[in-house]
This record gives sequence, C-alpha cells and structure tokens, in this order.
Amino acid sequence: MSMINSNASRRGFLKSSLFAAGGLVVGVPLSACATTSNEHSDGNNFVPDAFIQITPDNVVHFYMPRSEMGQGTYTGLTTIIAEELDVDPTSIQVHHVGAQNDYVNPEGGLQITGGSNSIRVHFDPLRQAAANVRAAILNAAAQQTALDVSVLSTDNGQVFAKGQAFNYSEFVALAAKQEIPTQAKLKSSNDYKYMGKDRPRLDGVSKSTGTAQFGLDVDFPGLHRAVLVRCPVAGGTVVSMNASQALKMPGVKKVVTIYNGVAVVADSYWQAKQAAATLTVEWNKPEKLASFSSDTGKKWFEEALNGDDLEDAHEEGEGEDGLATAAQVISAQYWAPFLAHATMEPQNCTVKIENGKCDVWVGCQSPGVAQGLAARITGLSTDDVTIHSTFLGGGFGRRVFSDYVAEASAIAMESGLAVQLIWSREDDTRHDFYRPASLANFKVGLDKDGAIESWNVSRAGPNVLPYFLDELVDGKVPGFMPTGLVDWLSKRGYGLFDGLSVDESSIEGLHEDYDAPHKYVQHVTVDPGLPVGFWRSVGHSFSGFFKEGMMDEVATAVKKDSLAYRLEHTKNNPKLNAVLKLVEQKSNWGKNLPSNHFHGVAAHNSFMSSVAQVAQVSVEGNQIKIHKITCVLDCGFVVNPDIVEAQMKSGIIYALTAALYGEVTLKDGAVQQSNFHDYAILRMNETPEIDVHIVPSDAAPTGVGEPGVPPVAAAVANAVFAATGKRLRSLPLKLS
Amino acid sequence: MISFELNGKAVEVDVSLDTPLLWVMRDHLKLKGTKFGCGMGLCGACSMLIDGVSTRTCILPIAAVANRKVTTIEGLGNPQMLSTLQQAWIENSVPQCGYCQSGQLISASALLNSNPNPSDQQIDDAMSGNICRCGTYPNIKKAIKAAAAQQVGVQTFDPKATKGVEV
Repeated sequence: MSMINSNASRRGFLKSSLFAAGGLVVGVPLSACATTSNEHSDGNNFVPDAFIQITPDNVVHFYMPRSEMGQGTYTGLTTIIAEELDVDPTSIQVHHVGAQNDYVNPEGGLQITGGSNSIRVHFDPLRQAAANVRAAILNAAAQQTALDVSVLSTDNGQVFAKGQAFNYSEFVALAAKQEIPTQAKLKSSNDYKYMGKDRPRLDGVSKSTGTAQFGLDVDFPGLHRAVLVRCPVAGGTVVSMNASQALKMPGVKKVVTIYNGVAVVADSYWQAKQAAATLTVEWNKPEKLASFSSDTGKKWFEEALNGDDLEDAHEEGEGEDGLATAAQVISAQYWAPFLAHATMEPQNCTVKIENGKCDVWVGCQSPGVAQGLAARITGLSTDDVTIHSTFLGGGFGRRVFSDYVAEASAIAMESGLAVQLIWSREDDTRHDFYRPASLANFKVGLDKDGAIESWNVSRAGPNVLPYFLDELVDGKVPGFMPTGLVDWLSKRGYGLFDGLSVDESSIEGLHEDYDAPHKYVQHVTVDPGLPVGFWRSVGHSFSGFFKEGMMDEVATAVKKDSLAYRLEHTKNNPKLNAVLKLVEQKSNWGKNLPSNHFHGVAAHNSFMSSVAQVAQVSVEGNQIKIHKITCVLDCGFVVNPDIVEAQMKSGIIYALTAALYGEVTLKDGAVQQSNFHDYAILRMNETPEIDVHIVPSDAAPTGVGEPGVPPVAAAVANAVFAATGKRLRSLPLKLS
Repeated sequence: MISFELNGKAVEVDVSLDTPLLWVMRDHLKLKGTKFGCGMGLCGACSMLIDGVSTRTCILPIAAVANRKVTTIEGLGNPQMLSTLQQAWIENSVPQCGYCQSGQLISASALLNSNPNPSDQQIDDAMSGNICRCGTYPNIKKAIKAAAAQQVGVQTFDPKATKGVEV
C-alpha cells in the first residue's frame, strides 16, 4: 500500500525507567510521530510503550510493534533485537501490543502492519535500540565490577568479566538509573550470530500445538456469541425485521438491530447461527451497487476507458505524443476481476463494555483504527478503549480494515452483553473489502528496430484509498468533531477524497519497470460501490499480470526471446535485470524441457524488491497444469532466509489460486460466491514444485510478504501462450 | 447427555444433539485448539481424529460421536511433550499464520498412523482436504517426510533439502 514517508529518526531519544518489579525498560523511537511520554505509567499499573524490557529474573521481553499474520515478523523483529542485545532469540518473551501512538508504523503515521515494510522500516531503529541497551548494561557492569568496559564481553544474556559470568539482570537496576547511550556501535554483519541464518520460527511451538491464541479463541465467563445478518448488497440498511421465532429459540439472549444488520446474541455460536437463519429482514439497498451485475458490468469499465473522463496519472518524455513517431504500435486490453482475501480465520471480534470502559480482543492489522472505531461506536474516549491483540489467522490486507470491530462494538452496545462476533465463511466471502476489478488498455510504440519507444497505458476501476479514508474518518477523526460532521465526512469519503489525485495504488506497477523514452499513464475511476481494499500486493496484484502479459506480447510481435527482450529493456533497472538473468540460469530457461512442457517468464518490482519467475506449464485439452515455478528474489539483506523462502512460496501459491480460480462476481449488487466450493483455494495436490533463490545482498532489507505475488499469473499465462499460441488477457486464466 | 472419550479421558456433555462436535469442543468444553474455517466440511480446519480417522467436525453432530474416541490437537501433544510430528512441524517452520495447522497435524497424524512411510502421491491424497491459505504445503510435505523418517528409524536423503550445495 502507498504510505506517506515520515522522517524516522534513529537518533530520537531513548528513555529508561525502573519500576516496582519491572527491571530495565527502554523505549524504541520508531517514528518521528511517536510520543515517548509515558503517561500511563505509575509504577503499579504500567501500560508499556514500544520497548525492550529486562526483568530481574533475566528475562528479556519484547513488545512487538507489528502484527503477526503468518509473514514472520514475530520471528524477524525478535531476531533483530536478539542480535544486538546478544541474547538467544528463543529466550525472548514476545508480546502482542495494543493500540498506542508509540507503535505507529514509521511510515504513514498509523499503527498498521502492511506494505511489506515490517522488516524494512524497523531494521535500523530496533537494532540501534537493542545495541543501546546492551551498551547500557555493559556500562553498568563496568561500574559494578570496577573493570574497564573494554575487558567485558557478552553472550546470550550474560556479561563476561575476567572469566566470570553475570546475568544481564544483575546490572539492570544500575543501568536504569543512568543515561542510556543513543548511538552505541552496531555489530558488523560478519559478527552476526542469529541474523542471516535459517532458524526455526519462534511461534512454531504454539502454532503446532493449538496453543497460539487467535481472536476467535478469546473466551471468558459471561461471554456470548453473536451472528450478524447483513444486507446482501454492501452498504444496505435495515428497514424492518421480524425476530419472533429467533427469540424463542434455545440460548438466544437478544436480537438487536445495528447500523448494517440484525444480530442474534446467544450463549453459544451454534444457537446464534440457528436462530439467525430464522430472521426475516427487509433491506434498503444502495441503488448504484444493486444495479451492478458482473455479466453486464464489464461494460461500465469499457465505456469509461473509451470516454472523456480519463485523468493524467503519469508522464515521461513526450508522454502521449511519443506514440506519434512509432514505427509500429501494439495494443491489447487486460482484465482482472474482484477477489476476496479468504483468510482461514473468518473475521471476528470480542467486545466487553463495563463501567465506562471498553475492552476489545481482536487480531487485526490496524489496532489504532480499531480502537478509534470502538470509541466512536461506544461514545467513549479512546483512553477508555483497550485493544487486546492476538495472532491473526491470516491477513493479506483484509485485516487492515476493522469493520468487524465496529460491528461487534455496536452489538455489545445495543445488547448490553459481552459478545464475540463470529463471521461465517459465507459472511467472510460476501462482505470483504475486495481486490478492485480492473481493466487496462495498452498501446506500446516500437522503433524501427523493435525496441520500446513509448509505453502508454490507461486503467479503469475502483480505488482503494477512498474506502480506507472512509474508515479512517470514522476511526481516527478527533473526538471533538461533531458527530454529524463526522457522519457527513464519512459518507462523503469517496467523493471528498477521490478527486484530489489519482490513487497511486490504482496505477502502481503498470509503467515503472521497463525502459522507454516516453511513458503516458491515464486513469479513470469506475466504482460500482462494492467495498475494495488492500489485497496482497494491492495494485501490483493486477498490474503485474497486465504489464508482464503486455511485455510478452511485444516481444512476440518483434520475434524476440521474451526473457532476452526484458533484459534489453531493464538497463535502467539493474536489480530487475539481475533477477531476470539469474532466473534464466536457475530455470534453465527454454532448455531441456519435456516435449509437452513450456516456459513462461515474468518479472516485477514491488515494495522495493525485485522478483523474476519462470513457470513450467503443460496444456492438455483446456487444462492448464503447472509443474514448476522458479523464483528469484532480491530483497536486500535477509534476516531469516528460511522465512523469506517460505514467504515467496506463500505468495506464489496465493497468486496461483488467483490465476487459476479467483473470481468474485456480482448479481444485482450481491456477491455470488459463498464458500470454498465456489471460491476455490489451491490445495496441496495442485501445488507445483517451487524453487526459490535469494540474491545474496548486504543492502538495506526491502519487502517480502507481497512481492512474490505479482509475476505469477503472467508467468503462467505466458507459458500457456508458448504452449498453445493463445494469449490469455483475463483472470482467472481459462482456455476454452 | 452424550458420552465419549476425549484425548483419553471420558467426558459427558449435555447439549442439543445436532450441535456440531467442533462447537461442543470450542464453546462447551473450551478446547480452542481446533479451528472453525468454513462450516461445510470443505477446508479441514476443524479436523479431529474420530477412532483414528481424520474427520471434519464442523458438520458432525455431537450425537455421532457417542461412545467413540475423539482426539484433538491437544491430544497429539503439548509444548512440554511434543509428538514426533509436532517436533517435525516446528523444526521445518511449517506454520505461517498457523490457523489451519491443527487440522493439518490431525490429518498428517492419521496418515502416518496408517502409513508410516507415505509417498508424495499418498501425502497429496491424504492432505488435499486441508486448505492452507498461507501456502505452507511444501513445508508440510517436508515435515511429514521428516517425521516418517524419524518414526521408522530410516534416514532419507533429499538433495533439495540440502541448502547451499550445488550439484
């Protein structure tokens, strides 16, 4: 996702404090926006800022500023801390954190986990913070042992002094009273004990024994389960409802109407679900969305691309005029549908409101926004709303949005009961913030030698940003704004924010990667009103397919090897050029293939990383079979190669699902898919061999969670073209 | 009142007979290790062993397990006493988000109990009822093979598992 840069300062001040039984506590200046005031600390009731804590029993605690949703930050960020603290990562106690300004993402100023940036933006500040703590302990140790600091060394949580070993905790009391160094020297990469090495995930034990706590696992005496019936057309409201039968059913405590539906609150989930099925509700459906059906809706996009409302989004060289001198122009149109995220853990949230305080248990990617939404719904101040974070049963961008937190808060308010709202799989498939459907027209101008002279592309589709800003208005606008104004702003979100500029995530990846003297990008918004959001790799999820399909078409038109043609057009993009060269070698590009197997290549930059992939495919009848994906990634320095490799495979498998099956369609505004029988997910028997190569690098770390996704569909489609001569320009890929 | 054996101990529950076993486990017996994924028996997140067979419990009425043996993830092992399979899961860093892994472990354990040394094809067949949205399939396969090798006491050599060696 696009985020606004802030000047994250490595030199921001650190603080330390000693409290009742707490030991040494050190704040981590993650962001220039972060406050490091510690207003909640009174010694007994301490609410932590982002920090490292060493307790008198010599346990290191790490309060992890980002969410763990599978991508591996739990292990990655902890390993970064461990390295500079000189403590074995497996001995560190890692804690999920609630909502607090100290935990805002150094990019964007919100407490969000996303944009594949967790390692990239925390690598320097966390290393520095941990090194400073180690230096403080060494300084205190020198004083206490009356030895010079130069004769002291550390290893795995202990200070070594003239053959004697002392636990860090022995020096914590003194260290906490002294000034903490701010610029302690960092380790050289040659001295790394933990970083750069394959090490088991730190959450592996809890996640292999059923003991990891997800949002759905939260429970306490007096907690009820809630099932919410929503309008099939997103944004609809309740006109009337009949709950007479539901109220008679066993275990049912309340039936309440909230802003977007009717909720049954019962003792157990099964009771709530059974009762919810008996409700009859009359809906007020939003007209525009209710008039949209997928079978005819694509015309909306086509007409917009042919209309007069296109806005200029990007220009290089002579822009559109560059096309005038072309010796040849290649044109094509590409389509990608709406997609659901389908996290394995359906959305859910637990809310308890008692004595003017609201407690929220949730696994989400934006605890700060979740807190704001709960505060707005309950009418409490954010200070009275506590977010208890858990592991996330998958995120992929879905849990950047906190709609389920708002719903659970409203149900708890209306019912007066502590509730756990549980979405069914059907709810989850039908009420997502979908990957925006997109249609793009390319016109690529070639010179007389067949090289690209101008790259023109226009995209039609909905934009993610207005939907996110809409939620931010509800969740983050200060409480002093009159409710009416916030409601107005919120409802106007789309119109207010959309005209300001072209949403970067609508065009990202369409034009950047290849050399061309002239580039021209246009955009036109087509928004039926289906909520859209951040779907793993966001705009790159469709632009990677579009751009790499187009590049293959151009290479084919000039009768060049498609990989060699890409190399010729990445002279200004050395990182992408290098991964292409390596994937050529590692895949044995075009050589020694079984007679009915074919290669296709695609490469794409996203989240500051470069990825090239070669798909090995065969086609039997209309069946596309993928045998192998070879993947080369350059993501700078790698903290844990095993996790990075797993993330590449994860992104590839996620993208193969989209390439082969993924399609959300609408009928009169309602999503038609509901569960895994009609929204299929790739299974083990369909998963090809995946061979991942990571380019060794000492450069600053870049994104990993998302960059594996964008090239996949194009690599497969390009291989299908090699096999059949049929150019597939629509997702999901279908030969018919 | 329904009686059955849960992780080696006799239990009795008094719930509506159509309540799926999954929700009896989660809401009534408060064992949260088994997960809810789809409610239609399509994804395998809710898998438990019923008399040793990996079974989708989100669609299995509690009445169906009367007097039978039910094993949940909690019954396979725990952080203090890990099963061979769980150990292999941890060493191979199988879990990502982790949500589906209880079901994956149950299906893998049913497989190894009936077939101590499964082939790739047999692993695919046994595991394809369990969806993982994070795409941990390659590591699941690796871990099943590692556990199988451990259990039968035979070391298998997998050149692809050896990193940094060019052959």
